[in-house]
Amino acid sequence: MILQIVCDVLFLISVVFALAGTLGIIKMPDTFSRMQASTCVSTLGVLGVIIGGILYAAIVMHSASTAIKIGVIGLMILVTNPIGSHVLARGAYKSGIRPEKPMETDDLGRDFDE
Amino acid sequence: MQKTKFSAVLATFVLCFAFWILLTWSFTLQELIAGAVVSLLVSLFAARFFIHVKAGWLVHPGRFFSCLLFWIFIFPVELIKANLNMAKICFGGCKAINPGIVKVPTAMKSDYGLAAVSNSITLTPGTITMETAEDEEGQNWLYVHWINVEETDPEKAGNAIKGTLEKGLRRVWE
Repeated sequence: MILQIVCDVLFLISVVFALAGTLGIIKMPDTFSRMQASTCVSTLGVLGVIIGGILYAAIVMHSASTAIKIGVIGLMILVTNPIGSHVLARGAYKSGIRPEKPMETDDLGRDFDE
Repeated sequence: MQKTKFSAVLATFVLCFAFWILLTWSFTLQELIAGAVVSLLVSLFAARFFIHVKAGWLVHPGRFFSCLLFWIFIFPVELIKANLNMAKICFGGCKAINPGIVKVPTAMKSDYGLAAVSNSITLTPGTITMETAEDEEGQNWLYVHWINVEETDPEKAGNAIKGTLEKGLRRVWE
């Protein structure tokens, strides 16, 4: 019973962060800021569900294999996600996408553009 | 193309086999043998792309425990702090932002250390590593997109972005 509540609270935390990230994706003004907001979904938005799922599978369902598979899914998301966002952001910058409102500082443009 | 080292093959084999066991989670002899054969084939082909330096780098009590300490205590705290910050910005209507790309120095020398630092930076909401570069003196620089630029001075910005993260990771890779 208590465990059920703990799992529910973890799911709720994830939902809140996923909602924040989604709001950010819709309302942010430029590509890079939108990408920043999306990181919120793929870190705490996923981790809460993963930890809650592991607890639920291990203690309520008594199924070690399910718990471990959920853990592997979480690990893979955490390992692959930063590489994806790095490549997307860099590709967007290299293909000439710039925010409408000039950035505070742009050291990358200063050092690599002529 | 460099020669495939035995230690690299062994390390890749252990990783593949551990992954197989985690995914199947059944300990009958047939499954274990099939897993071992597949992992051996995969590791023979993939080892030279996967491990470039000493394969037993983490088999060292100090490094191993600093690695655990980093991933269990230091990194989650930073992650949660950054997430709360980002959630506050998003629920506040996305007005309080001041995006920019800053250039920060990093103390890391090896490829793996650089990869660990830049991936940790990208994983915390609010910062994305966009490029790494090395200057003439061998100092490595990271170009980081930052949602809310507070500092434009490289040293201070570096401390604000990755001060604690790098302190934790330097014990593993330097």
